[in-house]
Amino acid sequence: MKKRFSRKRPLQSEDMALQITSMADIFTIILVFLLKSYATGSVNITPVKGMMLPEAQASEASVEALKVEISENAVQIEGQPVATLTAFHFDARDVDSDHSSKALGKALSQHRDRQLLIAKANSDVKVDPKIVVVADQRAPYETIKTVLASAAINGYTDFKLAVVRGN
Amino acid sequence: MSANLGSGRSNSQDFELNLASIIDCFTVLIAFMLVSASFLSIGILDAGVAASADAAASTTPPPVNLAVELGKGHVLTVKVSGKTNRTTSVAGIRDGWNYTGLTTMDWDFPGLTTQLDAIKKEWPMVSAITLSADNTIEYKDVIKAMDVTRKTIPVVLLGGF
Repeated sequence: MKKRFSRKRPLQSEDMALQITSMADIFTIILVFLLKSYATGSVNITPVKGMMLPEAQASEASVEALKVEISENAVQIEGQPVATLTAFHFDARDVDSDHSSKALGKALSQHRDRQLLIAKANSDVKVDPKIVVVADQRAPYETIKTVLASAAINGYTDFKLAVVRGN
Repeated sequence: MSANLGSGRSNSQDFELNLASIIDCFTVLIAFMLVSASFLSIGILDAGVAASADAAASTTPPPVNLAVELGKGHVLTVKVSGKTNRTTSVAGIRDGWNYTGLTTMDWDFPGLTTQLDAIKKEWPMVSAITLSADNTIEYKDVIKAMDVTRKTIPVVLLGGF
């Protein structure tokens, strides 16, 4: 041991040049990959926290339409809560005899009226029957039916269901 | 770019690119993109009357109407009405056992595909199907059934309301 410590080492320069060329290469690759994956999402849908979308083999399509979200506690239109849910279920007093929701129907009617007003003022704008439904996979079909019935009554008959794309 | 290009004494063409600032930029960009990027690939399933332009333009009514219903106990019911009327059921299949030792069941989607293939072979003109479910059935099961059905019959309409 003593002999080893006492051995004279060659003097090393205190200036050390870090080889960062390879690091720059790696970072460039990561950046290109991230930019590529950033650009793939054509549908501007960001599910709320805790929402689990169902999985299906769906085509990637860009859709611009009114967005209705069904989560555990509320139904939202374009991010604004319009109806309250209790464990994915509508309040029985809110549901009409035609299986539509009063609160949701009122909100959808307002959006429809706005669309009709714009279409009336501008002939280039057409009334769109499309509606994007972003629903939690645990929601019962009863709730989905209520939302779809409310939408159909207000003229939204072309349903687009948001899913997570599977293999 | 720190180089020896400015010195008049050296004619060497070797110069060292200062990558430190580029690395700094890349680090900030990558951190930003990792935080903001969503790796969830979201797709869209068509449902409703305007799902297919061909079907909407067609004036000839289909010879038969097809409907699939997802019932309690993982039972799938296929209903054919029109020129012929018949109802067939596809019972659920045993999936495994849960932690209490009870048998868990799953939908027999391969069985449904077989049924639909036979109907499609018999009535090639049929291009639309109505899908409905019991009130308690979860949305993910409806979507799964829709996904399976679309492979045989492209236009799927949600029904039951």
